[in-house]
Amino acid sequence: MSTSATDVEQTVIGFLTTIEKLPEAFGPSTSLYAGGAGLDSLETAELSAILEDTHGADPYSAGEMPQTLAEIQAYYAANSA
Amino acid sequence: MFELIRRVAEDDPDRVGLATHERSWTYAELRDAALSVAAWLRAERVARLAVADFEADVVVPVLAGASLVGAEVTQYPPDDASVIEDLVERFDHDVVVTDRRDLGHVAARLVAPSEVLGAASAEIGTPPEERPHLVLTTGTTGAPRGVRHDWSRLVRGVARVAPVQDERWLLAYGLHQFAGLQVLLHVYAAGATLVAPAPRRPVEGLEAMRALGVTHASATPTYWRFLLARARSDGRGLPDLRQVTLGGEAIPGPLLAELAEAFPHAGISQVYAASEFGSTGSMRDGRAGLSVDVLDRGDEADVDMRIVDGELWIRTRSGMLGYYGEPPVDADGWRATGDLVEVEGDRIVFRGRSSEVINVGGVKVHPLPIEERVGSVPGVDMARVFGRPNAMTGAIVALEIVAAPGADEAEVTRAVKAACADLVPAARPRSIRFVDDVATTGGKIIRRQP
Repeated sequence: MSTSATDVEQTVIGFLTTIEKLPEAFGPSTSLYAGGAGLDSLETAELSAILEDTHGADPYSAGEMPQTLAEIQAYYAANSA
Repeated sequence: MFELIRRVAEDDPDRVGLATHERSWTYAELRDAALSVAAWLRAERVARLAVADFEADVVVPVLAGASLVGAEVTQYPPDDASVIEDLVERFDHDVVVTDRRDLGHVAARLVAPSEVLGAASAEIGTPPEERPHLVLTTGTTGAPRGVRHDWSRLVRGVARVAPVQDERWLLAYGLHQFAGLQVLLHVYAAGATLVAPAPRRPVEGLEAMRALGVTHASATPTYWRFLLARARSDGRGLPDLRQVTLGGEAIPGPLLAELAEAFPHAGISQVYAASEFGSTGSMRDGRAGLSVDVLDRGDEADVDMRIVDGELWIRTRSGMLGYYGEPPVDADGWRATGDLVEVEGDRIVFRGRSSEVINVGGVKVHPLPIEERVGSVPGVDMARVFGRPNAMTGAIVALEIVAAPGADEAEVTRAVKAACADLVPAARPRSIRFVDDVATTGGKIIRRQP
């Protein structure tokens, strides 16, 4: 899958849906952690693995700690060829 | 080794000692071939050699002949020429018996098996006191090590094997593996027939079982899982084995039940053995793990075990003398096995290898119990659990699944997650992939990540 903002959004929303943590009003600026989707460290680790498997790289493995979907999308935008 | 073959050859020379799809060899033929090997080794003054030929009709006489004259043999694994080249250098071998044509660059004298096996036999006399044998480890922890044994100690491990006439044992291990050597010793101590298909994968093993009248088979749990899956997919049924033996890996209880159903007339045994400490006997009660009776048997016992900080330790009288190129060890002393265990009631239950533990954010996770759960989910043929490096938690539990033919992957994934839902969060698989095959070495699942 490509690293376009749409594809990355699809991956993140798909993951949050699977683990039943997709907030009703989820959007690019919703926190992925406390006060938003509420991901814990293991779920974040899982998201990191899914992003890597789906898009070939992930911001967490690159040492970043994105807080929102928008920041994940920004990582791919900044690192796309 | 030689004396085991000679004993049967003298009593019943025409009994078949080795069978392949191509032909059979009687005990007398194996004895004579071994005598030729012994004569060649004496005439050429060869005290150490390697074998890079994987056919049992070469390896068996070479091992037997070498054991007669005290020459140390190392059977190499079936690897690329570059690996063989490294092994020759690492283990200082000057002579390699092989008919491979791709080993021309190896820095050793290459001798064709036909030259060694075709030598005129001669009177050899009494075997020397020291009769060394060198077995290579599989090298899953890095470069392979040479485990030094002595034939007298190895043969002691099969001293209580009862003679039989009509057992046909499948060789499911490579003869470079210690487990393969154990099967060989057991077969020739019993006076049975070794059925040796090539290569020794489950698909060939199943065919040999069907075509060559196999009655007994010993293999790893991974091998048995593949074999059962193969039999299910080709729909041709399974032979009516009389004995199913498992070893080399921790054995999941569900697999024992599956094997009991697949081979209803077979005795099912578990063997606990390793290159370093030899064979410790077998459990024949069809339950996973070892009886606690094996613990604390006392100094006089041939095999004694104890548990130290959750790890099984062992002392045997048929174990190794040490590693090649390293100082000798106390051959009769206590050794850590690397197997993590727990006592549950009257049973010692294996939790996995100490080297396979996955550290998920500081929580230690054993892969085997997870594999057992996943392996029981309908639609799963095989499962492999291992640690996948992760920036957030150091590692996560990763799972590879070989799905059964026709299984729906999304459905299997949901079922697997449900099966693991009551595990502690760190132990739940966080990365699930469907694969055609799981990584194995020597018939065992590789759970350690590079």
